[in-house]
Amino acid sequence: MKNLIIIFISLFLLIITTNAQNNLKEDQCFTCHDMLGGEPAELFKNDIHRLKGISCAACHGGDNTTDDMEMAMNPKKGYTGVPKGDAISEKCITCHANENKMKSFGSHLPTNQYQNIKSSVHWKLALNGNEHIVQCITCHNAHGIVSVKNPKSPVYPLNVPKTCSKCHSNEIFMRSFNPSLPVDQYQKYKTSQHGILNVKGDSKAAECASCHGSHDIMPVKDVNSKVYPTNIPATCSKCHSDANYMKSYKIPTDQYIKFAGSVHGKALLEKKDINAPACNSCHGNHGAVPPGVESISKVCGSCHALNAELFSNSPHKKAFYEKNYPECETCHSNHDISEPTIKMLGVTEDAVCSKCHKETENKKGYLIAKQMKELLVRLESEENNAGRLVNEAEQKGMEISEAKFKMKDIRQARLESRTMIHSFDLEKFKEVVDGKGLTTAKIVTEEAQASIDDFYFRRYGLIASILIISILAFSIFLYVKKLEKKQNNT
Amino acid sequence: MKNKLNNIYSWIDERLQIQDLVNFMGKKYVPVHNHSIWYYFGGLSLFLFIIQVVTGILLLFYYKGSADLAFESVQFIMSKVQFGWLIRSIHAWSANLFIFAIFIHMFSVYFEKAYRKPRELTWVTGMLMLFLALGFGFSGYLLPWNELAFFATKVGSDIAGAVPLIGEPMKIFIRGGDDVTGATLSRLFGFHVALLPGIFTIILMIHLILIQRQGISEPMHSEKSEKKEFKKMPFFPNFLLRDLLFWLLVLNLLAILAVFFPSELGKKADPFASAPAGIKPEWYFLFMFQSLKYLPANILFVEGEIVGIVLFGLAGVLWLLVPFWDRKSSQGQKNVVINYIGIFAVVFIIVLTMLGWIS
Repeated sequence: MKNLIIIFISLFLLIITTNAQNNLKEDQCFTCHDMLGGEPAELFKNDIHRLKGISCAACHGGDNTTDDMEMAMNPKKGYTGVPKGDAISEKCITCHANENKMKSFGSHLPTNQYQNIKSSVHWKLALNGNEHIVQCITCHNAHGIVSVKNPKSPVYPLNVPKTCSKCHSNEIFMRSFNPSLPVDQYQKYKTSQHGILNVKGDSKAAECASCHGSHDIMPVKDVNSKVYPTNIPATCSKCHSDANYMKSYKIPTDQYIKFAGSVHGKALLEKKDINAPACNSCHGNHGAVPPGVESISKVCGSCHALNAELFSNSPHKKAFYEKNYPECETCHSNHDISEPTIKMLGVTEDAVCSKCHKETENKKGYLIAKQMKELLVRLESEENNAGRLVNEAEQKGMEISEAKFKMKDIRQARLESRTMIHSFDLEKFKEVVDGKGLTTAKIVTEEAQASIDDFYFRRYGLIASILIISILAFSIFLYVKKLEKKQNNT
Repeated sequence: MKNKLNNIYSWIDERLQIQDLVNFMGKKYVPVHNHSIWYYFGGLSLFLFIIQVVTGILLLFYYKGSADLAFESVQFIMSKVQFGWLIRSIHAWSANLFIFAIFIHMFSVYFEKAYRKPRELTWVTGMLMLFLALGFGFSGYLLPWNELAFFATKVGSDIAGAVPLIGEPMKIFIRGGDDVTGATLSRLFGFHVALLPGIFTIILMIHLILIQRQGISEPMHSEKSEKKEFKKMPFFPNFLLRDLLFWLLVLNLLAILAVFFPSELGKKADPFASAPAGIKPEWYFLFMFQSLKYLPANILFVEGEIVGIVLFGLAGVLWLLVPFWDRKSSQGQKNVVINYIGIFAVVFIIVLTMLGWIS
């Protein structure tokens, strides 16, 4: 049986090789041009197309069966010479967009590349009337085309960054299409974890096409782009949530699940708020690396500027640095950041402050945390009470819009106080909670209560006025009756 | 006590000779019959007008008639001014009751044919006051500068703009420009507090003088048989006291309405916002508004809305001039056609108003 299999494989290889040899022998274009020498013929020697038996004539036209140059390169025989502009890609798609043709060469490659590239950003803009920005050969080369899996291919994962950078790092070239587009992606990429691995020869590490796609590259602002803010987590998670794929890197693969459940993830993925951070907002995009311990507050501070500033000037900055605590992350976590609640503050077991501050240890911080919590709880309670009274007055039909508007000031003070926590300064915190929040809450409560009292006053007043008017009316009625009786008698 | 009052009265009489007025009023009589109740609606209309004037003046102390300040000033009146809410609510409710009382007064005069000779001018002045009252309603509605008022004024002035020939200039005159803006507010404010009250007061004086000169009309059948004499009641003090009694009852009603259904303010007008759904005019314009909605887009090559407006205009003119074309009533003859027209008008107004209300 084993022998039989060997015989079959040998026969199969013999047939293929003989067939290819015959085809090669028949390609008179290559025979002559090979003899003449030159780069195209040299490159074409190992081109996947030549190895599949495809002649120069497939792209350039003419008769590849004759060694007579005039006959072979006769326009009447279909010779077209070197294709220019969009005609280049049109030559490629005569086969690459034809599934049957591709199968006849034993290829199972997809045949939608042309369709994809036509919808891509590269095809949206034209160089001139006849040519779009890229053609197939821009990335795949012309005569030395090899399989994508061949390390010599310009689109082999390890070569992709360099291939893209040919244009994307060329300031003068890029300026003519999009002057505001940066041209430092390749430089940044080389500093990224992905880039470092890529340079080391790790073809699994993400390169340009891993995130942007290959033929179907969309502008970043296009909602269909793989790197549109709401699509970024899914794009990154293709690799980072794949436990098998990431096994060799020994890093967690639960970032996406954690992020999706976080306050940022919900804003981005559920509310579609593109101002909410995606993976690249914290890790960078082309220069993606995990932020270092010391730089976390700066990264978070790019959005939470005030919090970061307060933290930087607080006593915690130095303390965290000395203990090598990852700043914001220490209290808020990283990927699974949940909406901060009042429970996080204080000295109870579930409060983050209590991780370091105990009644017996770090007592100053313990007392500050305790008082901050008490003040914030009071503010929340006063705010709820004021809101309840405003609603009640409103439901009673009272004009309470001014007090209702002031409710926003209380909410603002509460939000401000949450920010002010990051100063870890009790006096500053009191200024906001007491000076703004509680004072306004008191005014609103008084106004709303006065409105409710006025509501009842109106009803009692109505009863009194109805009584007085009715007595007056009844008196007139009696007087008229008495008068008319007197008049009738006279 | 009685002597003291007599002394005061004598003191005033010595200077103003009011005894002549008392004697004059003492000689005035009001017919007493089954339909006497309708006489009270004229007095009620006058009472409500006085309330409008008094509450209107009080509101003027705080109201600011500009697009930037109008809404806020009304908000201030409603929330900060002592009893401001009551004054505004009474002003708004009294306006509605005022127009309602005028309508009842008008129809009672119509069905009693009290407009017949020699009271044609009393009728005409009364009708003019009804039109002015509607003008008061339209101009006053915009003054709080809230969303509902803004768009209702827009729709209302658009309808006025559809009147053939004079419509467009009239619309621009009302709006003070092509669109409803702060200029419209200033203009309607001027109409509401100066122009209309001035004209109204003059016509009201003429109306009252005519009533004093001609006395109160008696129902027609009294003229049929000259022998039959109506029972009469002295105007002073009997009728006036009964009037006062009625006014007090209405005052009670006003107080209840103002406390239980105070005027709402809503949202401030935003000219750039889209119109809220279901914009409707005030109830006294609703029958006309609803009728226009039922008309087809085109009637005999003319836009349906224009036909409707022209028909309402003609109906208004005919109604105004009824004493001049109803010859029969003036000659003391029974004219049932007038009754049928009146019944049709009442039913039409009630049904269309209800349809407009529920739609």
